Amino acid sequence: MSRLTLGHRLKIRSMVHMAAEPIPFFWPMRTFIHHNPLHGLEHLPFEQGVRQGEQLFHGRGFLPRTDYQRYHAEGKVDDATLGDDIRRFLAERDAIGELDLQGLLQTLLCRTPETVGVRLDLADADDIKCAIDGGTSCAEETADIDALHERLARQFPPERPLYESIDLLFGTEIGTTLDELVIKSCLDFFDEGQSTLQMPGREHGFFTAWSALAKRNLRLFLRGLHIKKILAQDASAEGVIAYVLGELGIEEAHWDGLITRELTRLHGWAGFIRWRSSAKRYHWSQTYPGDLIDFLAIRLVLGLALIREHARRKRLPATFPELSHYLEQHTAECYLRQAYHGGTVQPEWAHRVDDALAHKHPGRINRLLPEYLQAERIAETRRQADRLLSLAEAAGQTEALKALDADQTDALLTLLDEFEDGEGMMWLRAMEAVYRKSVLNEIKLLPPAKREKRPFAQALFCIDVRSERIRRQLEHVGDYQTFGIAGFFGVPVSFIGLGKGTELDLCPVQITPKNVVLEVPTGATQIETDFYSSASHVLHDVKSSVLSPYFTVEAIGLLFGFDMIGKTVAPRVYDRWRNRIEPKDASTRLLIDKLSREQGDSIVRSLQRVTIVRAIGQELGIDRDAITDSMIRELREIAMGNKEGTSEFARQFALSPAAEADFIETLRDEYRINPSFVSMQMERLGKIGFSTDEQVYFVGQALRMMGMKETFSRFVILAGHASESDNNPYESALDCGACGGGHGLVSARVLAQMANKSEVRRRLAEQGIHIPDDTWFVPAQHNTTSDEIVLHDLDLLPTSHLVYMERLRNGLRAASRLCAAERLPTLEEGVDPNLDTTTAYRHIQRNTSDWTQVRPEWGLARNAAVVVGGRHLTEDMNLDGRSFLLSYDYKLDTKGRLLDTILSGPLIIGEWINLEHYFSAVDNEGFGSGSKAYHNVAGRFGVMTGNLSDIRTGLPSQTVLKDGRPYHEPLRLLVIVEAPVPHVLAAAGRVPKALSLIVNGWINVVVADPESGHLHFFDRGEWHDLGPAPQRAKQLESIDAEESPA
Amino acid sequence: MNTLLLLLAGFFLPLFPLSMAFNWLLGRFNNPVVRVLLILVWPQIGVLLVLAAGVPLTGSVFLWWGLITAAFYAWRLLTVRELGQWAAMLATSAFALTWVMAADGARAIDLHAFVLGFAVAPALLVVITTLLERRLGAAYSGLVTGMARDIPRLAGLITVVLLAAMALPISPGFFVMLDLLLESHPAPVIVALLTWLLWSWAGTRLLRDTVFGPRSGKNVADLPVPLAWAFAGVIVAAVVLNLIWTGV
Repeated sequence: MSRLTLGHRLKIRSMVHMAAEPIPFFWPMRTFIHHNPLHGLEHLPFEQGVRQGEQLFHGRGFLPRTDYQRYHAEGKVDDATLGDDIRRFLAERDAIGELDLQGLLQTLLCRTPETVGVRLDLADADDIKCAIDGGTSCAEETADIDALHERLARQFPPERPLYESIDLLFGTEIGTTLDELVIKSCLDFFDEGQSTLQMPGREHGFFTAWSALAKRNLRLFLRGLHIKKILAQDASAEGVIAYVLGELGIEEAHWDGLITRELTRLHGWAGFIRWRSSAKRYHWSQTYPGDLIDFLAIRLVLGLALIREHARRKRLPATFPELSHYLEQHTAECYLRQAYHGGTVQPEWAHRVDDALAHKHPGRINRLLPEYLQAERIAETRRQADRLLSLAEAAGQTEALKALDADQTDALLTLLDEFEDGEGMMWLRAMEAVYRKSVLNEIKLLPPAKREKRPFAQALFCIDVRSERIRRQLEHVGDYQTFGIAGFFGVPVSFIGLGKGTELDLCPVQITPKNVVLEVPTGATQIETDFYSSASHVLHDVKSSVLSPYFTVEAIGLLFGFDMIGKTVAPRVYDRWRNRIEPKDASTRLLIDKLSREQGDSIVRSLQRVTIVRAIGQELGIDRDAITDSMIRELREIAMGNKEGTSEFARQFALSPAAEADFIETLRDEYRINPSFVSMQMERLGKIGFSTDEQVYFVGQALRMMGMKETFSRFVILAGHASESDNNPYESALDCGACGGGHGLVSARVLAQMANKSEVRRRLAEQGIHIPDDTWFVPAQHNTTSDEIVLHDLDLLPTSHLVYMERLRNGLRAASRLCAAERLPTLEEGVDPNLDTTTAYRHIQRNTSDWTQVRPEWGLARNAAVVVGGRHLTEDMNLDGRSFLLSYDYKLDTKGRLLDTILSGPLIIGEWINLEHYFSAVDNEGFGSGSKAYHNVAGRFGVMTGNLSDIRTGLPSQTVLKDGRPYHEPLRLLVIVEAPVPHVLAAAGRVPKALSLIVNGWINVVVADPESGHLHFFDRGEWHDLGPAPQRAKQLESIDAEESPA
Repeated sequence: MNTLLLLLAGFFLPLFPLSMAFNWLLGRFNNPVVRVLLILVWPQIGVLLVLAAGVPLTGSVFLWWGLITAAFYAWRLLTVRELGQWAAMLATSAFALTWVMAADGARAIDLHAFVLGFAVAPALLVVITTLLERRLGAAYSGLVTGMARDIPRLAGLITVVLLAAMALPISPGFFVMLDLLLESHPAPVIVALLTWLLWSWAGTRLLRDTVFGPRSGKNVADLPVPLAWAFAGVIVAAVVLNLIWTGV
C-alpha cells in the first residue's frame, strides 16, 4: 500500500509527465521512425528550441565554426546574408570606440577558428586591458575568495542530481554506476526476446517486477546497497519517488527540475519508455506494462542507495542540505575539487591541487587556494587578451583595440559573447540562402506543356529523396511520366503478414489505421517447411539456449565459418546461392474487401468449433472421431447461453450434470466461447478490409492529389520502396518513413488492387476521374540500396498487356542502372568516371548482401527541400537526390483539403526526417548514435554503444558523416509549394502544427504562386515577395524579345 | 655476501623506503635528458653493487623485499595521474624485480640487460611527459582525453609505449619478465605475476584517460612526422636489440 494520498500520487505522476514532455519518443528500430530529436520543443522558435535542447540533452545545435568556415571556403555560405545578419545584430548595439564592429565580427566568423567572447570567471576588464597594453603585472590582485561560495552555490543547485554534485566534488563515479544499474534493469525488463532468461514477474509492471527482484538481489546487497530498506517505505512507484526526494532533502518546489534532469540523463531509454507506455496497441507494452514513473522510481531508489553507500564509506554528504553545509564550510576545498575533478584545473597546477586534496589538510588547502586563483586569473587574462589581439590583428584593427579603455573592453567582451551565442543561427541562415537561391533560380514556374499522347507508362513513387534520381532517369530513358506521393499511397493500413500474428501499421506515425489488411496464400505455391527451414530453426534455438553454445561451437561451428567466409569474400555469389536453397516466398493476395456480417459470423463459428474440439480432447480426452458436428454445435449454443438443458454430448459420454456444467464453464472461461469474446472477435473482423466507399475515396484522393484526373497510361506503376542490407540494425531507417518505417510494397499492392476493380472505377468515373479499361495498376518495389525495381502481382496482369512487358522491364532496368552509376561515386572512392552502367550496377548490388558494409546506401542524407507541386516545376533540374517531390495540383483542390492533408502528413514527415539528419550531423555523439562499429542490439528494439549504454537515438555517423565531416549538409527543410498565396495561407491556418512549424522557423517556406508568377518567402515572421521566378522571368523576356519588332 | 653493499644497492635497485631517493631525484629534475639518464644509469649502479656483494644472494630477505617493493609501487600506479611520476613508479617497481634475478644467481650480463630492458618504457614515458607538458601544460591523465582523434601520432606513440610499459609482447619488458618467470621459484613468480597484472591494469587506466574517451577539443599540434619516425626507429631498435639478446 502507498502512504501517499491519491491526490499526491497524481501530482507526482503529472510532474513526471510534464518533465518528460521535451524528451522525444523513441520507436523500436524494427520500424525506425525518423523524428526531430527536439520534437518536444517545436512549440518554441527554432533558435530558442535548439538552445533549450542543448541544455537538456547536452548536445550541440549548430556545427563548430571551423566546419562552417569550410563551407564558406567552398562557396556554400552566402556572404550577403551573413553581412545582413551581422548588421542586424549591431543595429541594436552602441559603437565601441573606433572599432569597425561589422568588419571585426565578419573576421571573427570567417577567419578566426576559436571562440573569443568567453565568459570570464576571475579576470576582469581591467586585467585584460592591462594585458592588451603589454603590461607584465596584470591580474595580480587576488580574487575575492568570499565570492567563490556564491559561485559554488549557483553551480550546485537543488535541481542538480545529488550524485552528480558528489561526483564532481569527490571524483566518485556514482552517476556512471547508477546509469549502468538502471540500464541493466531496463534491459532485463524491456527485453523483447533477445535474452534466453526472462525477468520474472514482468506482467506486474516495471517497478513491481524490479522491486521484487531487487529485494532479493544479493549482488546489490554485497555492494552495500540497502535497497530493501528503501523499498520498504512505500509499495507504489509514486510513493517511493516522494520518499527518496524527501530523504535527499530536496524541497518540493525543485522536484520538477530535478526530475527533468534525471530523465534526460538517459534520454534514449526515457524516450523509448515514454513511447512504449503511450503505444496502447503495442504487444510488449500490453503484456509487460512500464512507464516513466516506474523508471524514475527505480533510478531514484538506486541513486539513494549508492549515495548512502558512498557517504557511509567515504564520509561524504548524503543529502542536499549536507552538501550545502559542506560547500559553506569547505569553500576553498570545494572550489579546488570541482576544478580538479571537473577537468578545468590549470594543467600546471593539477599535481599540486591533487596532492593538497589527497592530504585533506585544511591549512594546506587554504594556503594553496589564493595562489591557485591568482595563477588562474593570470592565465585567463593572458588567454583572453591574446585572443582579442589575434582577432583585432586579423581584422586590421589592433590600434583601435588598444585605444579602448577598460569599460569599452568590457563592452566588447560582452558584445562578442552575445554574438558568438547566436552565430550558429547566422551561419545556418547564410548556408540556407545559397541552397535556396540555387533551387529557386532553376525552378520552372510555368504552366506544364501539353502532352500530345498519353505516356507509355506512368509511375508513382514515394516522395522520398531517393525517388528523385530514379524518376529523373526513368523520364530520361523513355516515355515515362512520374509522380510523387507519400509512400503509403494515402491508404493507412494495419497489415498482418502471412504467418504473422501481429499488426504492422503502414502509415505515418501520426495516423492510426482503422483498416486491417490480411495477407493470405493463394495456394499456387506450397508454403515451404523443408529441411532448410527446419535446420534454421534448430540452429537458432541451439544458439540462444543457455548451455548448448558450449558444445555447439565445436560441433557445428564450422558451418557458421562457411557462412562467414561466403558473406565476406564473395557476398553476391554467396547470396545468390543461398537464395537458391532458401524457401521461396509464398504466392499471396491481400484481403482488402470488407467482410459482411454473415461472413464474419461464419468465420467466428468455424473458429469456435475448432476450439471446442480441441477443448474436448484436452479436457476430457475424447477424440474428434467420437463426436459429431451436431454435438459441437449444441455445446457451442449452450456455452453462448443460447440454449439450456443437458446436451447430447453429456448423454453420449455419461457426464454428470455437475461435470457437464464444469466443462461448459471451462469452455466459457478458458477457451473463451462466450458472447463478449465473440463480439470482440466480430469487432476485429469488422476492421478487416475496406468498404467500396472507402476504396473509392482512397483511390480518388490519391489520384486527385497528384493531379491525375485524365490521361492514364496503359501501365500505372505504384512503386513502394524498401532497402536491403545485411547485418544492419538501421535497415528500417532506410525504409519508407511514410509507411511507419516499413516496406512500401504492401501499400502499393493495396492501392493497385483497389484501383483495378471495375466497381471502384465506375464510381470514380461518376466523380470525374475516368480510368480507361486498358489501364492497369501494377504494384512494384523500388529497392533503394540497389535501385532495382521489381514488379509484383504480374499474374493478375491482363493478357493484352503482356506484349508490352519487355519494353517496360527494359526501361525500368535502364533507369536502375543509370541511377546506380550516378550514386556509385558517392559511395565508393576513386570510381572511374567512364565506368559502364552494368558494372556500376553490379557494384551497387553488392551492398545489399555485404554484411561488412556499414554504409549500404546514403539513405536520406543531404535532404534539403520538398517541392509540393507539378513535376513541370523541376523536370529539367538535377536535384541530386536532395528533394522530396510531392505531386500536387492546386486546381484540383479548390477547397484546399488535399493541401491540408499534405501539410499535416508528408510535410511533417519531411520535417522530422530533415531535422533528424540535421541534428545527427551537427552533433553525432549528442543527437546521433555515434559509430555503427561499436553498436550492439539491445533487447531487439534499439542499439547501444558497447555492451551497456543509453539507447542510441538518431542516426549513426556512417549515415551523415564522411571522413569525420558532415556529408549531410545540415539545413532546415526548404518547402516550396506551388499554389496561390491565399490558398496556401488558408491551408496553413487550418493545420495548426504546420503553421507552428512555419512561424517558429523549423522549416523554411517558399510559395511559388503560379498565378502571379512570384515567389514568396516566409522569414522572421513575415512574407517577403522575392519577385518573379527567374525561369519565368527569362521566358517572359524571350517572349517579349520575339514579339518586339526587329 | 656483503649486506652493507646490498643495502646500498637498495637505493639503486630501489627497495622501499630506500626507493624514495630514486623517486625524489626523478621528481627533482625537470630536464628530460637528466631524467632519462637517471633511469638508464641508476639501476646499472645497483647491479654493479649487487654483483660486488656477490650473487646468488643467500637468504630470501632481499628477494622478498624487492618483490614487495615491486608490488607496492605497482599498486601505487593505479592512483597516480601525473605521467612523469607514473614513469618513475613504474621504473621503481620494475627495477625492484632485479632482486629476484639476483637471488637466482643470474649472470652479470643478464642482470645488466634485465634492468636495461625494464628501463626502456619508463625512459620513453619521460620523453612523452615532456612532449605533453609542452603542448598541454601538464602530462596529467583525465585532464585531456580523446587524444587519439585530436593528436593521433602522439596518441599512437603513447599507446605503443604504454603497451611496452605493461610488458606486453614484443616489448623488451615482456621478454625480461618471461625470463624472470621461467628462472624463478613458484612463490616469487606469483608475486611477480601480480605485479605484472597491476602494471597492465594501471596502464589500461592511463590509456583510457588519455588516448581514448571523449574529445576534449584542444587545439594543439600533433607530433611532427620526422619525430614520429624517430620514435618509431627507437622503439624498433629496442625491440630488435632485445630479440637479439634473448636469442629469439
